[in-house]
Amino acid sequence: MSKRYALTAYLFLLPAFAFFGVMYYTPIVNIITNSFRTGPRADTFTGFDNFTRVVSDQAVHNSFVVTLIFGAGTTIGAIVIGLALALLVDKPLRGRVVFRAALLVPYLTSIAIVGLLWRNILDPQLGILNRVLDSAGLPTQAWLNTNPLATIIGVTLWMNVGYTMVLFLAGLQGIPETYREAATIDGANAWQRFWRITLPLLAPTTLFVSVMMVISGFQAFAQAYIITGGGPADRTDLYIFHVFNVAFTARDFGYASALSFLLLLVIIAFTVVQLRIGRRGEVQY
Amino acid sequence: MLNRMSPANRVVSYLLLTVVGAVTVLPLLYMLSLALQTEAETLSADPVLWPESMQFGNFQELFERAPFGSFILNSLIVAGGITVAHLVFDPLVGYVFAKFQFPLRNTLFLLLLATLMVPLFVRMIPLYTMMSNLGWINTHQGLIAPFLMDAFGIFLMRQFIQPIPDDLIQAARIDGASELRIYWKVILPQVKPALAVLGLFTFVFQWNEFLWPLVATTTEDMRTIPVGLTLFNQEYFTLWHLTAAGSVLLFLPTAVLFLLTQRYFVRGITLSGLK
Repeated sequence: MSKRYALTAYLFLLPAFAFFGVMYYTPIVNIITNSFRTGPRADTFTGFDNFTRVVSDQAVHNSFVVTLIFGAGTTIGAIVIGLALALLVDKPLRGRVVFRAALLVPYLTSIAIVGLLWRNILDPQLGILNRVLDSAGLPTQAWLNTNPLATIIGVTLWMNVGYTMVLFLAGLQGIPETYREAATIDGANAWQRFWRITLPLLAPTTLFVSVMMVISGFQAFAQAYIITGGGPADRTDLYIFHVFNVAFTARDFGYASALSFLLLLVIIAFTVVQLRIGRRGEVQY
Repeated sequence: MLNRMSPANRVVSYLLLTVVGAVTVLPLLYMLSLALQTEAETLSADPVLWPESMQFGNFQELFERAPFGSFILNSLIVAGGITVAHLVFDPLVGYVFAKFQFPLRNTLFLLLLATLMVPLFVRMIPLYTMMSNLGWINTHQGLIAPFLMDAFGIFLMRQFIQPIPDDLIQAARIDGASELRIYWKVILPQVKPALAVLGLFTFVFQWNEFLWPLVATTTEDMRTIPVGLTLFNQEYFTLWHLTAAGSVLLFLPTAVLFLLTQRYFVRGITLSGLK
């Protein structure tokens, strides 16, 4: 193509250059340079102080471990439950379309709705769950005090499994029926067909779902902000919630930047490892 | 087809579906119930599953206690503005990467895709500083500007524009159509369904967005619904019937869109799994 079209291309790209330059690349540079500074406007240079501080910051360590557990729980749960649901609504059942739609609904609500609604449902005294359990003569539980992390993992799964179900369903429908039929003729039972045919062929979907869920698990914020306030005793102090408080409560933009930057490195590392493992697991029939 | 399953298998499947469906839907129905209860009912020791008489006045009370009208207006302006921006920019940029040859094309595309790896939390603090320097904290433009386009929307549109035959574009050029006119008259009409998916998803996700509006607003009247409602709940934490009423209002537009265009939603999610 001639030069004229190249010029048109650049002209059409001009808004995108401006936008991604200002709203993505400048912030990335800033978060890195801010990591070496301190203060409410991150304007005092402190060298590696922020990074040495991370090494001995127990609260950050705790928050990181909490977030790892949260990420693992929400990722594994979203894969196992999402896949199980997909297999269920893939069966030739009447009304399956309605179920597919219904299961997707929580994912389309705001995390604000999910957080507020479940905080109400799980409230030790006022919550409908305990009141129903109590009136049925069953033992009640202060869910958010006894098992706070498991509880917010559960709430997050309630929101996300419909989404992963739709992804797995698309993956399942991409597997040619002939593979399973051939295996059946060869005498494979349903269990063998699932482990030997369906699951290996779903590997790309599973990889995608796990990458997405790990990334969104590390980024979870509102579950702590709305439901638990990070407590009790920092047991649900999700990493981004911690960073949010360092930045906007303690007003230390430098330290908060360093913490954000470190999490970005962790997320990139996780993604790279997952892609490596995932590529090795891919099969062709 | 429908008769291939054994009766036992079918019964178990329906049983599981019913349980899963109940766990999914009952909490949302309870939200609706709560929104229609009296304050006394929300506090009663006997669990109230559905109110004795529906209290539609709760919605009115909500508007009296909080500037909920402003919340709705802010949400509409912000989510609507961002959606329009996406519909304007994402297909244009996608078109360029699908159909033009130019120096540095692949490098630029890679730099664009790299932004997919940059979550909001990485941008949050620098954007906050940038917006305060511009005086844009607590303004609509401050809520809109960081989300005018995104790499995923551009990538999606590129995928849809690529299969359009080049001959169509060449023919229009020979006819003397301007480049912008070709984009508008030849390209865009071919990708209408993809635009619908893009628009729906952008709107619903921005309508629901929580973190940035929380960070970038400082006064109550500038809050969007998710943030306004959450902070309302912190202030009036015993008035669950009003918080639930607000939640119903927040979910209403999404529910209506989903009922009308279910197919697009499922398609959009499936597309997000494209590699």
